[in-house]
Amino acid sequence: MANLKEIKRKIASVKGTQKTTRAMKLVSSAKLKRAEEIATRSKVYATKLTELLTEIAQKMSQSNEEGIDNVFMKENKNPKRVDIVFVTSDKGLCGGFNHQTIKQANKIMQEYIDAGVEVRLSGVGKKGIAFFKYNQVEMLNQIDDLSSKPDYARSTELISSLVKDYVAGETDKIILIHNGYVNMIMQKVHTQQLLPVDVSTLEITNSVALSEMEVEPDDDDTLLDALVQKYVEYSMYYALLDSLAAEHSARMQAMDAATNNAGEMVKKLSVKYNKARQEAITTELIEIISGMESLK
Amino acid sequence: MELMKLEIVTPNGVIFDDEVKQVTVPGGEGEFGILAGHATVVSLLDTGVISIERKDNRVVSVAVNGGYVKVDEEKTLCMVDGAVALSGDDTNLAKAISEAKELLEKAQSSSTTIAAAISKVESIKK
Repeated sequence: MANLKEIKRKIASVKGTQKTTRAMKLVSSAKLKRAEEIATRSKVYATKLTELLTEIAQKMSQSNEEGIDNVFMKENKNPKRVDIVFVTSDKGLCGGFNHQTIKQANKIMQEYIDAGVEVRLSGVGKKGIAFFKYNQVEMLNQIDDLSSKPDYARSTELISSLVKDYVAGETDKIILIHNGYVNMIMQKVHTQQLLPVDVSTLEITNSVALSEMEVEPDDDDTLLDALVQKYVEYSMYYALLDSLAAEHSARMQAMDAATNNAGEMVKKLSVKYNKARQEAITTELIEIISGMESLK
Repeated sequence: MELMKLEIVTPNGVIFDDEVKQVTVPGGEGEFGILAGHATVVSLLDTGVISIERKDNRVVSVAVNGGYVKVDEEKTLCMVDGAVALSGDDTNLAKAISEAKELLEKAQSSSTTIAAAISKVESIKK
């Protein structure tokens, strides 16, 4: 009989968990909608910015035969120090979302370390920070509460400090890793080289004859510098937005799976419960019958 | 009068996308007007006011806090960090103007540029 009671308690507990996961799924889907909308709206700006940057960069490389001679564009063939920035979530319960980013960050870090390059790590989001802290990897920046509430000023603050080091020649590369939103059921890890801006990966646009394009102020560097600055800042901010949307979609998926699993478990436990009950009844019947038999 | 396409994009999305007659923007090296058929140009934008002459000859002003403008054969594209459109009826306009002033005050430009932009915004009220 004790067994029956235990199963009953288990069923109640699983049902409780199911309620929680279902609620979390609903919350995530509501938040996802908003996060997705914000990310899509910002995407327009991000795309146009990249387009503009590409055109200016192309114009410059056309007018200058030796390629672009700008600190933000020139690739250092023998990097000595690389900055890696990763974006993870502040909260857990979102399946493999953070793990994927961490894995990628680890992989890239290892590649550079194997090549004898010093790596500086900057982390956004509690989960990733906790991971690297546990593994005793030193981090230059640890920023909490930014990935759950993307804020332009705070993200700019972070990336500007890295850009400053880059311009001063202390670092040779800035790499940004985040897990981005694809659709409701998919996320994709993006690894982006922020600086130096890799012109070759920027898509070539056909548009106007670039040589005829006037640039104001007319020394190319002023505009390009401002544009690159903006591009880097915005890429960082966009990574946060994208990551947030992806986080919610990942959580929604994880919670959906958890709710289904809980449902299945309840089903299994119910069958077990009914079997145990039936067994108890049968035993009781046998006892009564055999008791009657012995009276005869 | 020939029309041209104008698009104003901010990090929060596209805030203006229509055909217009003329637009005047606060360029990094001085204000300039753009008509259809303007030469291809890319310029920095300073903090200030973009004024747009629409198809129906209404003039709309948009306060911006810096960015870029790209003009090519097809269209004029303004990319700005923040923008507040100064339009609507009296109550909305008053609200928009105070919002615009707030935006401009926060901008990172020289104080004279900001002061000039604010006085421009205020002049719309009258």
